[in-house]
Amino acid sequence: MRFIVALHMMTMWASVARTRAFLLARSTRGTLVTSRFMSSEIEEQIKIKGDQIRQLKSDGVDKETLAPYIAELLALKTQLPSDEAPATVATATKPKKQPPPKQNQQRKNEPQPELSNSELRQIRLQKVQAMRDTGINPFEYTFDVSHTASQLSALYQDKLEPGEEDGSGVTIATAGRILTRRVFGKLAFFTIQDETGILQLQLDQNRLADNFQTLKDWTDGGDIIGVTGTMRRTDKGELTLWCNSWKMLTKALLPLPDKFHGLQDVTKRYRQRHVDLIVNSNVKDTFRKRAQISSQIRRFLDDRGFLEMDTPVLNSVPGGAEAKPFETYHNALDLELTMRIATELHLKRLIIGGFEKVYEMGRIFRNEGISTRHNPEFTSIELYQAYADYHDMMDLTEELVCELALKVCGTLTVPYGEHQISFERPWRRVTMHDIVKERMNFDFAELQDGDEASLSKARAAATAAGVPDVASLPTMGQILNACFEELCEPECIQPTFVIDYPVEVSPLAKPHRTKAGLTERFELFAVGREHANSFSELTDPVDQRIRFEAQAAKKAAGDEEACDGQSLYIEYFVQAAKVQSMPLPGPGTALS
Amino acid sequence: MTEEGEELSKNALKKKLKAEKAAAAKAEKEAKRAAEAANNPKAENEEEMDPSQFKANREAAVKALKENGEDPYPHKFHVDYRLPDYCEEFMSKTEDGEHLDTSVSIAGRIVSVRGQGKLYFYDIRGDGAKVQVMSGLQMYAEGEEAFHKIHHKLKRGDIIGVKGFPGKSKKGELSIFPTYIELLSPCLHMLPFAKGDSNLGGITNMETRYRQRYLDLIVNNDVRNTFIVRSQVINGIRKYLDDRHFIEVETPMMNMIPGGAVARPFVTYHNDLSMDLYLRIAPELYLKMLVIGGLDRVYELGRQFRNEGIDLTHNPEFTTLEFYMAYADYNDLMTMCEEMVSGMVKQITGSYKIKYVPKPGAKEIEIDFEPPFKRIPMMEGLEEAMKDKLPELDDPEVEEKLIAILAKHGVECTPPHTTARLLDALVGEFLESDIINPTFITEHPQIMSPLAKYHRTKKHLTERFELFVAGRELANAYTELNDPAVQYELFLEQAKASSAGDDEAMITDDGFVTALEHGLPPTGGFGLGVDRFTMFLTNKNNIKEVLLFPAMKPTDDQLDFLAKNKAKRAEDRS
Repeated sequence: MRFIVALHMMTMWASVARTRAFLLARSTRGTLVTSRFMSSEIEEQIKIKGDQIRQLKSDGVDKETLAPYIAELLALKTQLPSDEAPATVATATKPKKQPPPKQNQQRKNEPQPELSNSELRQIRLQKVQAMRDTGINPFEYTFDVSHTASQLSALYQDKLEPGEEDGSGVTIATAGRILTRRVFGKLAFFTIQDETGILQLQLDQNRLADNFQTLKDWTDGGDIIGVTGTMRRTDKGELTLWCNSWKMLTKALLPLPDKFHGLQDVTKRYRQRHVDLIVNSNVKDTFRKRAQISSQIRRFLDDRGFLEMDTPVLNSVPGGAEAKPFETYHNALDLELTMRIATELHLKRLIIGGFEKVYEMGRIFRNEGISTRHNPEFTSIELYQAYADYHDMMDLTEELVCELALKVCGTLTVPYGEHQISFERPWRRVTMHDIVKERMNFDFAELQDGDEASLSKARAAATAAGVPDVASLPTMGQILNACFEELCEPECIQPTFVIDYPVEVSPLAKPHRTKAGLTERFELFAVGREHANSFSELTDPVDQRIRFEAQAAKKAAGDEEACDGQSLYIEYFVQAAKVQSMPLPGPGTALS
Repeated sequence: MTEEGEELSKNALKKKLKAEKAAAAKAEKEAKRAAEAANNPKAENEEEMDPSQFKANREAAVKALKENGEDPYPHKFHVDYRLPDYCEEFMSKTEDGEHLDTSVSIAGRIVSVRGQGKLYFYDIRGDGAKVQVMSGLQMYAEGEEAFHKIHHKLKRGDIIGVKGFPGKSKKGELSIFPTYIELLSPCLHMLPFAKGDSNLGGITNMETRYRQRYLDLIVNNDVRNTFIVRSQVINGIRKYLDDRHFIEVETPMMNMIPGGAVARPFVTYHNDLSMDLYLRIAPELYLKMLVIGGLDRVYELGRQFRNEGIDLTHNPEFTTLEFYMAYADYNDLMTMCEEMVSGMVKQITGSYKIKYVPKPGAKEIEIDFEPPFKRIPMMEGLEEAMKDKLPELDDPEVEEKLIAILAKHGVECTPPHTTARLLDALVGEFLESDIINPTFITEHPQIMSPLAKYHRTKKHLTERFELFVAGRELANAYTELNDPAVQYELFLEQAKASSAGDDEAMITDDGFVTALEHGLPPTGGFGLGVDRFTMFLTNKNNIKEVLLFPAMKPTDDQLDFLAKNKAKRAEDRS
């Protein structure tokens, strides 16, 4: 299940957890090393490339044609000693931000020809000491920020002519991490990044006086600084904060990796999430979207009278799904415990207890392999509503997804790959029998269940349609399900509810009220993948007990009392992915 | 604890005896009873019946229904109004002794049964509201036979759907006058009486209440309110932080290193990776890594796990809020803490002042959450309270001197006698226990706070505070230590303490130091115990009361089952 973006998102988290051991030995990974000779040669190439790009741009070439040139340029820049590599701010859409290589860079390269991380750390530690020696704290306590980068860009949009300064006397205080430094004698341009975006700073000897020299001496890429000043637009039209003062807030002891090497090293991205977040701003956006989506889901459910519940993670008896649990041990109680594999049984008890609408959005743990589709811990949302059945749940699902699409993406039609996905209600509802019949021109409903001749007919039809391995399937329901998964599932591009599953593949769902051998269950498919699974809950304790025993699952629950209930089980991260990966073509979908 | 333990074993024994008795009785009489029940289900006064007999009767009756082709567990009953909505909608629209002409559908659980013959009264409950069902033969749409049949079927505890006219009884009680009643889900057990629905009222056995929380919820109405307050607390926190542009994130619960706090972790094993994992004891280090990554304001509301004893304020899993805010320090956080905590108290209870019973059997006290809260610097406050001078923290004999002070005041501290533990014992004795109204204890020594930043002016101290209310720690916060060199030193010191036998010392996390080397902006970090805060707002002194399913020792049945399962697994493996 199965939007790749989201899985990446979740998987990355896990990787942070599981790969910490690799960081135990203090890392001294090799860095980009070029000899003095090579580095000046590279600078020459960069210059040529830069001129080429400027020429192309002035010829009015479009961005896509330009992109490979820019990539080459950036690749060249990454070969410079990393302390000087000014690549991070560059994006394909803003090539003009690329600072032309200057003489002084070459000069500054000289004292540091080959630097490993530990040597870089040493140099920066010397700067820390130098600051302390003059009574300056390189790790400040606090800084009052008056505006964020995005607030400033909104505030000054369409204001100030090129070369004009804001004359209203408003002093701005802001803070961020230094992404690029360009120093030319008595003038410097920095770019800093805060949570909301990137801002250019102009720093000069005139305004900063003595502090300009310390700025040159003490700052490096990656440091966090606070600045005050006034806004102006440069002659080229770039919104810039012209600084009156600066302050070191946090001295970074390691440089930032450059963007392109960082991206290539996928494992490192997962392991050092903080570095990933600094360098790849779209990752930050992903988390912001995710937070937005979960808060919208909560609001949607709260508005409908659902109560959010916290049920235990640690249980003495596992239950609610078929999966291998994590086991642990409670010392004081001398007790073996398992971590939950679903929230289902506890939530159903609360329905029995008289809460009529409950949900839990929480972490689930399954002791299974890690892959792009599975993570040992993931977030799911389960909700239960008394007196409702699976038709009501389909309505609720439609409403929820439409509201999320509108609130988070602003539209009900979102592009996904070459498709336009329309969430316009109502969505198609089709039984598994019908959708398979449409695709195969073969009606499973006409066959006699359990009859050996019919089974052979079904197997033959399935094999003819190209469904593999049907010979080993012992029942009609399983053959039907195999045909569905193989032939129909990938073709469900628009949101589709597939309903009325065979009982053989739905051990927990309530038998269909009229159709023998089927259950009241649906799964939601879109872009060829499953997104939600739901059924009318089994409320008959006798039936439940038989099934529990059949599964060898457990006997504790369900036999006390029962109540009419209904569940919707959405793998939450899949939902999260759906709305965020679809609407953001271009850089936003880079992850997938 | 000992009391609880005794109660537990006594209960276990009682339960065992009872179960044995019931099983014997059941085996002996089951066949006979089933037959009896089928023939004459209302023969005895059911409320006085033996519970196992009651269950046998009900099972037989349900079986009989199934055999007659009736479904005792129908798939769907359409409901027009939740019971609270029904009350709100029709309370003012109906007159005493009259009913409206438009028919509506509602559903709920029968909590009491009265009447017979041509008029039956039921009280049904759902979502915290109660409605009376007044079912008369005249109004019943399907005729006399159906009328008798349905009322014959219904028992206290069953869930029913009712279609009928909203109205009021002559006494003015809001009711529904049914044209149709349907059994939606029979209750096979004898339901305990609800408080207020009968003078028998309520469940008081703690074991039953926590293990079968659903019964507690059905029967004890105020329990429901506790969890509604809990939900309001969580929503209140989210709203406060979301309004201030914080992002809610989820960090891993299973870690390779249990960092961010000092506590004994749970260990588990990942089969596929063949490695031990720890359940998190705090999300702190991950959240700070996100601030380093440029998420300037983040929070996580989530479960933490500590492998420690269970008592009135400790459960192996509990819920905390942690938030981190770049460019803020501990002074900013104290202001925010006052704002958030007192704001929620006011909003949820309607007043800054709450009544609270701190311990079972203790006298009720009043706690005033009106800001600003009192602030006591720890070392100064301690000297004042003890009327004694503390040694300098860099004194080479600081531990000996502290031990002497402890002895002088008769304060006990279990070994190892590290400076941190000795000071903690003194603070517990002289500062924490006297606190009733919310109070910040501030500026802890660095040695007690390995993740907090050294104080900007006071040597050996940190920029930290803890919020105490009625002698209990509610929140903990500090300006975050962001100098990687100092952090590394402090981790080394913790490692030393750990090898000296302090198993509560923090574990070194080099990955975190590397993250700090990339630069953590000046940041304030804050943690709040959500369960404890809920306890104050609901006047509960046992954490189990604010957890839906608190940790309990498994029952004998469950232990049997687990042992069997384990044996079976071992068998499967071999």
